[in-house]
Amino acid sequence: MAANTLKDWTIRTNKLERLWLLAKIEFKLRYYENKLGLLWALLKPLMDMSIYYVAFKVILGTDIPAFASYLFIGLILWNFFLESTSGTIQLLNTKKYLYEYSNMNKLEIYVSTLFANSIGFLFNLVIFIIFFNFLEAGGGGFSFHNLWVIALFINLFILSLGISLILSNIYILAKDINQIWMVVTSFLFFLSPVFYKLEVFQSKLPGFQYGNPLAGIIINARRVMMDKSPPIFRLLAFDFVYAFIILLVGIFLLNKLGAKAAEKL
Amino acid sequence: MDASIALRATNISKTFHISEDSHNTVKHRLFNLFSPSRQKKVEAIKPMDFEVKRGECVGLIGRNGCGKSTLVRLLAGVFPVDTGTVEINGTTLIMNLGVGMSQELTARENIYVSSSVLGLKIKETDAIFDKIVDFAEIREFIDTKVKFFSSGMMARLGFSIAVNAGAGIMFLDEIFAVGDMKFQEKAIKVFESSWIEGKTVILVSHSMDVINKYCTRTAYMKKGELIYFGETQKAVELYVTDNQ
Repeated sequence: MAANTLKDWTIRTNKLERLWLLAKIEFKLRYYENKLGLLWALLKPLMDMSIYYVAFKVILGTDIPAFASYLFIGLILWNFFLESTSGTIQLLNTKKYLYEYSNMNKLEIYVSTLFANSIGFLFNLVIFIIFFNFLEAGGGGFSFHNLWVIALFINLFILSLGISLILSNIYILAKDINQIWMVVTSFLFFLSPVFYKLEVFQSKLPGFQYGNPLAGIIINARRVMMDKSPPIFRLLAFDFVYAFIILLVGIFLLNKLGAKAAEKL
Repeated sequence: MDASIALRATNISKTFHISEDSHNTVKHRLFNLFSPSRQKKVEAIKPMDFEVKRGECVGLIGRNGCGKSTLVRLLAGVFPVDTGTVEINGTTLIMNLGVGMSQELTARENIYVSSSVLGLKIKETDAIFDKIVDFAEIREFIDTKVKFFSSGMMARLGFSIAVNAGAGIMFLDEIFAVGDMKFQEKAIKVFESSWIEGKTVILVSHSMDVINKYCTRTAYMKKGELIYFGETQKAVELYVTDNQ
């Protein structure tokens, strides 16, 4: 059955090609409409990084080793999450032209938009790898465990897709979901160990890394990319379960509310 | 579903709830938790069955506001039905003033995106690309964003994509109102040629000549109800006598 589905997506229909085409155009629209191009994707985490670096390293004097890389990996994961959730709340509105005249599957619109974000993330990850391994003092060293980042990213992708579906479908009924989500994300940001020392985070909020899927992903990403150690598997399993449950809720909402998008928006 | 059937709707209906006060934010919903919004019900489509065979050209006639466009959207799978089911065999396209296009994209990008949505592979689009551009007469503006196009250019491009890329099932909603006189002649010529043959088409029109000329069967609607669905001649007669 899986082989049949794969064949259906690649040879019999143009679904994969369409996802790629839509992602490419979305990516171009976002980054190549201006002079700086892809550098914009890098600029945001770099600016955030310098702010937190000054605040936590220079002023508060944190003793986390390789702090710039520590921040960098946390921020690029966080930014992907933010772009894929906050940035897609109005997706059904902005991409209405794709489904208001035909019976195109709306899920493809989401997946292609997240693909476009993934290209930006991939670019940032490459920059991170170069920075950490060749520029950061006290950093460096490749390991097989680095490959775990693929699993972690898939986890983040599913989680973001699920939340994106939930938010953008609620948007059909409640246009101010944007403001509410802004409050939730700043809460989430400060409850994720983006700039805290892991030990402090774990001792002050014990067990919380199991309650916040983003915290788990960031903790594990640092382990596999910086500490040359395997991820905490229990945490990884927890986060995958979270992501799948959220995705299921998102798909349920898409079928319930999203079906009415053409007449309501 | 039988492969010879392109579209089957069973016992479908649609009611719109038009609310007089808009409760579309969380704030409004919370403040008005105990005062339900006043809603007006509009029965747009009363329960009906509808079946279109593959390769058939079906007409849809009725006065303004009788529910033709709503029915088209239900059958195309754009609006969900309240009751019953719609089975669709393939891709659908509603074409009134062309296809849906993004203002932010260039004509070239829109051609590729729309064709892709209609089920064409990139190679297949490459093959018909020139045909689409020439038919729309926009060769020198191909890499211009369509937001800078005049409405006539937009309409021509949309029409050209729809005609050349086409979907499995096409809903043509008053399409002969597109473009200037010269383009209209061209559009009509498309229909005079063999374009329509072999395609599944649902044609909405107020022109009885067009309906008589192309449709084998025709549906006549009145106030959301399907009054008659069968021979074109009889449907047109019913419509004409009803409106005298």
